[in-house]
Amino acid sequence: MFPVLQSNLPYLLQGAVYTVILSVIVVSCGTVLGVGVGVLAAVGGNILRSLITAYIFIFRGVPVLVVMFLGFYSFPAVGLRLDAYTAVAVSMIVYVGAFVAEATRGAIAAVAAGQTEAAKSLGMRKGMIMREIVLPQAMRLLIAPVLNIALMAIKQTSYASIVGAWELSFAAREVVERTLAAFQIFLGVMIIYFVICYPLSLAARALEKRLAFDH
Amino acid sequence: MDAFIVFFTRYLPAFADGFLITTWVAALAAPAAMLWALVLIVPRLARWTWATGLVSAYVEIMRNSPLLVQMYLLYFGLPLVGIFWSSIACGVIAIALQHGAFLSEILRSGIQSLSQRQWEAGSAIGMRRSAVIRLVILPQAFIKVLPALGNQLIVLVKDTSLVSAIGVMDLTLTGKMTIERSGASFEAFIAVAAFYLVLTSALGLVLRVIEARAARRYG
Amino acid sequence: MNQAAALPPQSDEIVAIRGLRKSYGKLEVLKGIDISVRRGEVVVVLGPSGSGKSTMLRCVNFLETFEHGTITVDGRPVGYKTVNGTRKQVSETENASLREHVGMVFQSYNLFPHRTVLQNVMMGPVKVKGIATATARDIAMRLLGKVGMDHKADAYPGRLSGGQQQRVAIARALAMEPSVMLFDEVTSALDPELVGEVLKVMRELAEEGMTMIVVTHEMGFARGVADRVVFMDGGVVVEEGPPGDIMAAPKTDRFRGFLSRHLSEEG
Repeated sequence: MFPVLQSNLPYLLQGAVYTVILSVIVVSCGTVLGVGVGVLAAVGGNILRSLITAYIFIFRGVPVLVVMFLGFYSFPAVGLRLDAYTAVAVSMIVYVGAFVAEATRGAIAAVAAGQTEAAKSLGMRKGMIMREIVLPQAMRLLIAPVLNIALMAIKQTSYASIVGAWELSFAAREVVERTLAAFQIFLGVMIIYFVICYPLSLAARALEKRLAFDH
Repeated sequence: MDAFIVFFTRYLPAFADGFLITTWVAALAAPAAMLWALVLIVPRLARWTWATGLVSAYVEIMRNSPLLVQMYLLYFGLPLVGIFWSSIACGVIAIALQHGAFLSEILRSGIQSLSQRQWEAGSAIGMRRSAVIRLVILPQAFIKVLPALGNQLIVLVKDTSLVSAIGVMDLTLTGKMTIERSGASFEAFIAVAAFYLVLTSALGLVLRVIEARAARRYG
Repeated sequence: MNQAAALPPQSDEIVAIRGLRKSYGKLEVLKGIDISVRRGEVVVVLGPSGSGKSTMLRCVNFLETFEHGTITVDGRPVGYKTVNGTRKQVSETENASLREHVGMVFQSYNLFPHRTVLQNVMMGPVKVKGIATATARDIAMRLLGKVGMDHKADAYPGRLSGGQQQRVAIARALAMEPSVMLFDEVTSALDPELVGEVLKVMRELAEEGMTMIVVTHEMGFARGVADRVVFMDGGVVVEEGPPGDIMAAPKTDRFRGFLSRHLSEEG
């Protein structure tokens, strides 16, 4: 059954490895970037906050594919000779960062204002309030959104193939253009993506429910 | 600055065309997705338990695999079974199939969040189930999830950029071609990003106006 | 001119509010308030909703800004100071250090849900004052015992009733050893049967000589515990005086009307 898929499976699975590596890099760095930016927006001055708002607005309003193209074509222009894979990774990190930053802002805002007032009335200063009171609670609120963003990012790594980075979707298209067994290969690839994504999907939903209950 | 102006005057027509194509794809895919979403929630509303399992499985598959692969599947696969649809058709259908799943989930949560009393109120005045659904449940669920639907719509508009991978000369592909032809990657990106931002922010504004009106009238 | 040294520390006036005016946009909510609170005094502020009493209270520890007037706590200026004749906003550091001496208890308790009761009370001394953990724990346990919540030291706020949470909130504020305690309608959000336990703690605090400004609807507390009652309406102080005097024989129609309305509620 599915001979073409079977014979090409090793090649595709190699691609899957690249997909997973890219996803891990993008999600971890993007999350760190996004949380940092989100916190900066909360504690920083007006100028910083406006800049961050612009960053979030731009990168959330533009398709990720366009951001990838930007990375791919403009890094050489500033003297950075990056291969497609790295260029895509950096572009996606910036893109994911915008989403995580927005989620962080939301989480920080969701920590009730009364908490901040109580902390202030004890004589705590902004930095300490953020560190001791707001952030610990915001982090819990962030877990579910970040998992959903991670899910989005994993699927978006497939677009890297359009820009020329080699991963699962690129490998799939290569095989199909050679063998024309579109149904077998693409359905098989969908299953591979499913296997990668589904656990994350379940975790995100389970955590959403559990953390909502605790509050 | 001059290079900017020269660039824009030369390539603006091409970008405008690409922008129109993008808008066209979105204008076709969005209603299609919405219709598909309504079809998908029928089993849940009609309480056809055999079908709700299928719908859930379908939604899970859509949620956990990339739109690009689904698009490739249609684009490369359909000709093999003798269906020769255009790239745009493949793109629109792929987008509708995936986003319809997400929209149906959003609707589903809206319907579930309605109090049981809404159902009871409808049947208490003698309405048949289908009428209750049509006149009481769906309109309210719809209004409740309007913000979420709107956000999903904006994601849909951004996802139209994928049709560039199957050869549709949309805004993204136009941008890519322009970069390769002119070497002016920075200006081309500014143009492409600006067009998309205009599209998504305009859509966002319109959606917020609609939400505000709906909240005022029905909230 | 260093106003912090203007009044000697043994001065009797702990809180001095002079000519306080505040607007929210075009709406003026405080139209010139003058209130003076002496050391050990319990001042109860009464008034209908919208009278500005909570706003006035929140100005005292600068949780609200204000456009005109001055507030000093223990001789230190709150929020603004006059530097070379111009009014300038005080720095965040100065605000924070002032707030160490002003304790506040809120209507919605605002305990930190991710920390235990004991940790909540210890937070001020340890994090703000830099007191050693062991010492802070002793202070905290003593205060929790005082408010009757020491048996719940390791519980999380989410598990406690409103009255219990509010008593912990009082302990938390007391842990900073403030010169004055501000109470912002602290029993308004409580179920009636829980109000008593909180009022009891407040009464004991008053009897121990704590300087308190209490915004409340609890007439019994006003009559029984207050040294002075201030009645506010529409952003101004309408009447003030010892509860025995003004509550028995109100001088203004407004206060009389207010009292009769609330007395009929108390049934």
